This record gives sequence, C-alpha cells and structure tokens, in this order.
Amino acid sequence: MASMPVLINGIPLTTLGKQGELQRIAATSDNDRVLVIIQLHGGNDGLNTVIPIEQYAQYYHLRPNIALPDHGKRKYITLDTTLSTQKQAGLHPDMTGIKDLYDQGKVSIIQGVAYENLNQSHFRSRDIWFMGGDYDEYIGSGWMGRYLDYLYPGYPQDYPTSDMPDPLGLEIGSAVSLAFHRANGIPTAVSIDNPQQFYDLINSVGGEPPASVANTYYGHELQWIMDIEKKSNQYAGRLKEIYEKGSNSQKVTYPELYPYNAPASSLRNGIGTQLKMIARLISGGAKTKIYLARIGGFDTHASQVESYDASMGTHAALLYHLSESLRAFQEDLKALGLEDRVLTVTMSEFGRRAASNGSWGTDHGTSAPLFVIGKHVNPGIIGVSPDLSNLERNNLRMQHDYRQVYGAIMQDWMKGEDQVLQQTRFYDYVQGENKIPVIRDIIMGDREEFLTERYGLKDCTPNPVKSLVQFGFKINATVWVEFSIYDVSGPLMKRVLNEQKQAGEHYFHLDLSSWKPGVYIYSISAGRFKERKKFVKI
Amino acid sequence: MASLTAFQGKLGKKYAAHLLRRITFGPTKREIDTFAEKTPEEALADLLKALPPLPDPIDPDTGQTWINRSLEGEKVDHDALKQHLKAWWIDEMVHSPLSVIPKLSYFLHTHFTTIESRISYSQSIYYQIRLFRHFALGNLKVLSKKICLDNAMLRFLDGDLNEAGRPNENFAREFLELYTIGKGPQIGPSDYTHYTEDDIIEAAKIFSGYQEDKNFTHTDPETGLSQALLKTDGNGLASRHDASVKTFSHAFEHQTIAPSQTANGLATEEAAEDEINQLVDMVFAKPETARHFSRKLYRFFVYYQISEETEAKVIAPMAEILLENNYAIEPVLQALFTSQHFYDADNHLPEDNVVGAMIKSPLELVVGSLRFFQVNLPQASDPIEQYYQAYESGILKPLRWQGLDFYEPFEVAGYPAYHQSPAFHRNWISANYLARRYEYSKHIIQGIRNENDEMLFRLDIVEYVKQPNNITDPENARLLVEELLGYLLPEIITTERFDYFLKVILLDDLSEINWKKEWQRFQATGDDSAVRIQLENLVNTIMQSPEYQLS
Repeated sequence: MASMPVLINGIPLTTLGKQGELQRIAATSDNDRVLVIIQLHGGNDGLNTVIPIEQYAQYYHLRPNIALPDHGKRKYITLDTTLSTQKQAGLHPDMTGIKDLYDQGKVSIIQGVAYENLNQSHFRSRDIWFMGGDYDEYIGSGWMGRYLDYLYPGYPQDYPTSDMPDPLGLEIGSAVSLAFHRANGIPTAVSIDNPQQFYDLINSVGGEPPASVANTYYGHELQWIMDIEKKSNQYAGRLKEIYEKGSNSQKVTYPELYPYNAPASSLRNGIGTQLKMIARLISGGAKTKIYLARIGGFDTHASQVESYDASMGTHAALLYHLSESLRAFQEDLKALGLEDRVLTVTMSEFGRRAASNGSWGTDHGTSAPLFVIGKHVNPGIIGVSPDLSNLERNNLRMQHDYRQVYGAIMQDWMKGEDQVLQQTRFYDYVQGENKIPVIRDIIMGDREEFLTERYGLKDCTPNPVKSLVQFGFKINATVWVEFSIYDVSGPLMKRVLNEQKQAGEHYFHLDLSSWKPGVYIYSISAGRFKERKKFVKI
Repeated sequence: MASLTAFQGKLGKKYAAHLLRRITFGPTKREIDTFAEKTPEEALADLLKALPPLPDPIDPDTGQTWINRSLEGEKVDHDALKQHLKAWWIDEMVHSPLSVIPKLSYFLHTHFTTIESRISYSQSIYYQIRLFRHFALGNLKVLSKKICLDNAMLRFLDGDLNEAGRPNENFAREFLELYTIGKGPQIGPSDYTHYTEDDIIEAAKIFSGYQEDKNFTHTDPETGLSQALLKTDGNGLASRHDASVKTFSHAFEHQTIAPSQTANGLATEEAAEDEINQLVDMVFAKPETARHFSRKLYRFFVYYQISEETEAKVIAPMAEILLENNYAIEPVLQALFTSQHFYDADNHLPEDNVVGAMIKSPLELVVGSLRFFQVNLPQASDPIEQYYQAYESGILKPLRWQGLDFYEPFEVAGYPAYHQSPAFHRNWISANYLARRYEYSKHIIQGIRNENDEMLFRLDIVEYVKQPNNITDPENARLLVEELLGYLLPEIITTERFDYFLKVILLDDLSEINWKKEWQRFQATGDDSAVRIQLENLVNTIMQSPEYQLS
C-alpha cells in the first residue's frame, strides 16, 4: 500500500506532503512568535470587568448589589476619553495594570465574544473554546493540538529535533487540556509547574519500557503511557537547561497578594508565577509556540463582591491578580527584549448574566470581553459596549465569534497560511467582513500616535510671551500631574501644578510680567507620560 | 458481539484478579487464588455483602469523636477535621474486607462530587461520606433525592442562597447536567436535548428555600443521617421557598410541579419537600437518566470509550435493568460483572480488550499497592497523631501529586478522568503525574516518615517475600518473579520482557543459582542486605512500569 501514490486532483499526495512540509519549515524558521493563552476558569463576569459607563444607570439597575461605583476612591477607571460614546468603557478599579498597558497602546479589548447558541455548561463550553468548534460539534482534538500537529508533522516520534528541541506547547500545571489534543495519540503539549523539580523528578524514576505492545485496548493505553514517559524524559533536561539559562528582569516584581479586602482564599496571586516562568523560559531560548496558563475562581455565583463594598472581594482580587501580572509580564518581556515575540490573550468559557443574583453574585451568562495584549496589537476597543437595553434572554448579545479572535491571531500574529486556518477551523472567520483587526504589525510611529492622541502637552500661547500665557495638556486617565517651569539652564522656576487631575483636556493661565526675559522650559509629568517644551519670555 | 450475556464457568486467576481490581480496592495474592475457584455469580454474592458500620472518626485534640454533637460556639478547626475525615474514609478503602462497597462509595463521590474546601463544617463532609456509603448498594434515584438536601451539597452549589425571588441556579444546573439526566447535544438556543435553560430556572425554584443544619440534629428518618433544613416562618411554612407553579419544557412534556398544599401563599413543609420528589421522579422517568448513569458506571468500571455497538448492546440493556429495578444499583452491577463482555468473552479475538485497558486512578494505584503487599499502617488505636500523619504523608499527599486531590477536584464536574472527553482516564497520565506515580513505590519502600523522622509505615518487601502465603518458593528466582508479575500485572508479558525483570533487575545479570545462594545465606544468617537490595529493585521496577499503571 505504501508504494501506491494517492492522488488528489491529479497531484500525488506525497508531493503535496513535501510541498506542505517545505512551507511549514519556512513558516516556522522565520517566525519565532509565541502565543500565551490565559484561561479565566469558571466564566468571567465581563460586565464588572469592562463597564459600559455610558449606560451606568441601567448597569446599576441590573446589578445594584454588585455594581461598581461611579464615584469615590474606588470608582471604575475610565478607559479612554477619546473613544466614541458607543465604545466608552470603564475598567474595574483594580485593573490599573491593564489601563497602564492600554495607554501604552498594548491592549486590544474585543467586546462581546462568544459563539452562537452558547452552551452554559462550564465543561461543554470550555471544550468548545478549546476544540475550535460550534455549539453542536463534538471534536476529539483541540485547535492548538491540530495547529501544532500540522506545523510539526511526525509528532511525537520524530521529536525533539534540532530545529524544534522543545515541547510544541506547554501547559502550566500538571494536566494537559483538550486544547492541545491531536486527533490521535498523545497531546502536543507537556505540562509542568517547575522545570527544576520536573527534571529532578523525571530523573529519579522509571525503568525500561516494554519493547512492543499489542494492538488491543490494553496495548493502546500502554502505548499512551509510554509515549508520555518518553516525551517527559526527552524534554525534562532541555526545559531545565533553558530555564537555568533564562532569567527574569531584576527591575520587575510580579505581584503576590491582593492588597484590599477579599476572602482569604482569593488573596494569593495564582497567575503571576506562571507568567514569570514563561518569560524566563522564552528568555532562555525556548522555541515552544503556545503556552497555556490558568487562573481559577471566576465561577462567582455567590459573594463575587464584598456585601459592604462592591469594588472589593473575590472578583476584584482575581482581576487584580490578572491585571498586575499582565503588567509585570509585559514589563519583563520588554526588559528582556522579547516584547516583539510574545502575544497574550485571555479566554473564559462564558461571561455571566447581566443581572446579578441575590447572593452578591452572578449566574452563567454568554458573551464577554476578551483582552489581547502585546506590543503588536491593534490598540483600542473592537466592537462596542454591550447594549443593556437590548438583552437576549437576560444575556448580553454576542458581537464577535471567539474564532474571529483566534483566527485573526493565527493569521496575523502567528503568520499561519490558509492550511493552518483550515486545520484550526478558523478559516471562515477571517474571510471578508468576519476578519477583525486584532493585530497591527506596524512601524514605530503608529504606536506613538496612539499615545499622542490621548496624552499631550499643548503649545503654550502666545509664544514669545510678554505677560499672560496659557498652558494646556490632555491626559487619558485620572493621574497625578506635575507641571513645572524651568530656566533653560536648569533651575526650577515654578511648580505650577502638583495634584490629581481627571482625564481630559486642561488649560490654565499664568501671569509672567515680572519674569526676567529669556528661554524657559515647561514640563509635564503625568504617570507614564512626560513631555517638555520651550517658550521665550520677552 | 458485545452483550450482557452471562459468563459461564469459574473465573480462573486472571479474571478473578481483573474483577477484584475493578470493583474493589484490590486483592492480595491469596484472595485472587480464592476467587479463581468461583464463578462470577459466587464472587459477586461474596462481594455484595454488607460491611459492618464504620467506627466514628476521632478528633486528635480531644481523643473523642466530634460528629455526635453540635459544635456551634466552640472553637473548632474544621479544616483539620476535614483532613482527618479523608484519612478516616481512606482507612476503610485500605483495610475493609474485599467488598464492592468502598469502591462504589468512591464512585458515588466522583459522580456527586463536592469540593471540600468550599464546605465550612466538617460534619457536612462526614454525613456526605456516610450517605454515599449508605447508598453504595442502594438506589440511585433515592440517593438523588437525598443529595438535594445534603448539607455539603447545599453549601457547595449555593443552595443555601437560593430563595424565592432571588434564585441561584448553581445546583439546579449541575443537578440536570452532571448528576441525573446529563447534558445532551445542544440542538437549539438554550436547548440541550434532555433539558433546556428554562428547565434549570424552574428546577432552581423547586430547590429554593433550604438552609444548612449547622447543628446536624435534623435527621432523615430513612437513613438516620443529618440533612438540610427548610427555612420556615413562625407557622412552619416554607417562607423562602418559591411556591409558584413550575412549568417544564418540551423535554419534560411541559409537566408542571407545584406545592400540593399552601397557606398564605407559602408551601407547607411537606409540600415543599414533595416538590423535590416530584422533580426527581419526573427526571428519572426519562430513560436517558438511566443511560447517563449506565455510561458513568461503564466508564468507571469497564472502559472509557463507548462505541456505537457498546451503546446498543451494553449501555442500553444496563439502562433497562436500571429502569426495571427503579434505579436499584445491585441488579445492574450483577449483570455487568457477570457478563461475557466484562471478561472479554464476547468476541473471538485471540487477545483481550477489556482486561488491562483501564488506567488505574491514583487511589486504585496507591490503595491497591498497600492492600496487595498488606502494608501495616498505623491504626486509629495507635497514637492518633501518627495515624493521621500516616494517611496525610503516605497517601493523601501522594494522591495530590498524582493528580487526585482527594475530595478537592479543581472543578465542579469532579476529577477530569471521569468526565473529560475524549481522553477520560488518560487524564491521570501527564508527565508530572506519571513521574509521581512511579515515585510512590520508592517512597513506600524507603518508608513514610513524619516530621520527627519517625517511621509511619513501610513496604518491607523481604518480609513479604518470606511469607509462604505470598511467595511459594523464594529461593527460586524464576518462580518468584513469575508469581509477582503474574499477580501484579493485568496481562501476560513477553518472554523478553519477563527476562528483563528476572535477569536484568532481580539477578543483576548473575545466575539463578547465585540468587538461591543469596537467599539461603539470608535464611542462615538473618543478614538480608543482599536480597533486600535486589528485591527492592525488582518491586520498584515492576511498580514503575507502564504495565503496572493498568488494571
């Protein structure tokens, strides 16, 4: 049978295979891009993550016992004053990390992500996200598994190779999700929580495996165990080596505890160490393509918030963990020079019901926003805030299919050709109007534009100035603003502002009649944004 | 052809071992030999006998039990007590006479899973374990009613927060999706074939208005076990229970359920509780519920993949037996474990399929090993601290490392091996978990110690081999290895593989005569150093083999 060429449209399949392989080798060798997926396990409450602030009254009406406040110290964070009314959004007050990344142009928020007829079972819905299928499809493999299986044909027996010495995928923890499963045989990912411990453990156990196995159910299970054992042995040393070779930036601290009020079980950060390890492995030279990390606790049927303060509690702590860890991870990647290689995306099996329940919690819902983070995202918001006056069976209407997001990422970030998109089953979701601009592979200038559209020091008027001068600036967050004037030779002449300012444009006047003629510098420092300009006094 | 046609004749050694590994926590060599002489019916008759009640668990701080009195107002470390309860339950798995009851109780826990850390009161866990044990040979339908009023379950899925006018759907959803009829293919918006999203909302109303009994004094007369309380007003009416008419979807022929008796717009206590009975009756009248339980039993005890043929020839008949017997567990087990299908006798393949095709759960691996080698663990009558330390360090911790965080699965659906398609029990094997499984034999051979470096228990392989009940003739290396492999591994191995265990591992490439001399020297001098090293190597290698992971 092996010598009989199989023909597809008249072309021998063997040739097709070869061409495919060449393409694949080309695709892998010039592409060192990595995808990090963070699973928010349990169904994240999108409405308390990204708040539709233009519909605050309705938002409050739907969930009075858990609504985030629109005033006071723990008010939601206004994301971006420059967005259209329909897109206006607030972030949970504990998501300053995401806000900070957003202002750097490194966050794309995709609104209303789900799939048609969303299944409100945790387990089934998660499987659908992992499968890359429809609500009524049952596929025994995951989209990451099919992608990696396609990219690295011959796994597991032909790997590791010198070109691909690492696990194709790596799941943090001890188990491997459906996402990494291939149609047959062991999954394409290895799961570990600590490379050193893993190495020591693997090297202390095991004997020789049997030389052959029978073609029976028993034999199939035996083969499964042997294949996993073999991969473990092969990868343990390599993972340890790159982990030791790699490092995290000294300047970055990954968060460990939630600093406010929440049940004790939610205080500890469960995601930061995972991202820290991923950064270190990549810095050590890991060629692994996809990482899957997980943070649990999002199934907030009860006590999602503290009964006395809706801005604190379990969900607040989880969002803090996520947001601060992402900030640290991104800073770490930047310091390590890896920012151009890594894209991070969140996922959760579903969002939660628009209205809260009586237990300071929320029941299972449907669509929710999703975050894509990295230097090469198309910054901003895709879609609009959910319309709270137009619910569908008490649920937020879907705006984007999850496969549109993954499809855009596979096509534009991972540079997957059509075959990759077919394998992952995302092909239809990147055609025509379905395609969404999640990634913007761009030249430096564009990103600065994103910042200058949102932050800026205006030219003072008039310039040169005789007596009265007007200064102005715009900021996109409520931040501490320091505005000062210096003599061109250095000394501080006057600290004009040193206070917290709301997001928006600000103007003020100053009478300089008594000042000595000369050249002066005016400077603003507002959070991450800093700028200075000159004026002349005559 | 797969079928439930009865298997004829005596079990023989291989099938006796197969049966005992699957439906108990594991046999000794002697027990395999005894059961080899029985027919499946005779074996089942033995294994289905009731067990004596469990002794009460002991609180090490007081030396007394704590489950027979209210602890409200006392300073109690329930987290510690819950750990002790796990030890107490596993003690039964390790030490009970050969019986299906401990394994079936564990099956029920994997089906009606609760995450222990979400339960405040240790007594809730205690009564839940007792409930599973009570119904291990009981009735699934009755148990499903009881579980709705189980204090631990009520707390776990927010049933105590579910009230009229402020519903919490958490339990209602899992009741349909996981515990009873199960989720079918989604055939439309919010329609999961066997039930719809609206059915969840209606069921939640029926479950509304209960609270935990924090004193554990409210007893179900039928089981004698503590159960939850209805929230009532001064007139004894169900004050937080939704008394409206609940209308179910087309999946249940639009059936309605309402309280049979109300006053002031509130259901009476009996009427509220009777609504649960009506709901369970409605759901269990559906053949799909019987099929769902049959598939769960099949995957737990037989094999994880259910082909179309298996579905038609095994699952469907199992479901019929369940329905005919109004969901009593015993008849369906009887049929399954005496069937040709279970013993691979329903096909003409020269080799077995079902035998050896299950990946042992960590619990089966650990408890099964301890039982086979009859390892002496501290008893509750020993210093109680050592008893609990032994179970924590020697069993519960290794289970966690191997992927079975006992009574604490990561998610509501329970341990992935029992529900996560397509891999099911293959989820027990990941790089980490497999290494931790292998490591276990090393740990128990070296001995499990506490923080003060006191030995808590140990698998002393020389002692084991010395006993004639275990090994017929220890001088004879070949027979010794044959006996160990024959009783420890599920399937026959190749000569080449056998030689690896015998020649490379036990004999270290020396002769069989050398082994005989070493053994005789040990007998004469009492110096076991030489034979111990080789025997420990052998047992370590067997237990660290892929074959030993299978049952």
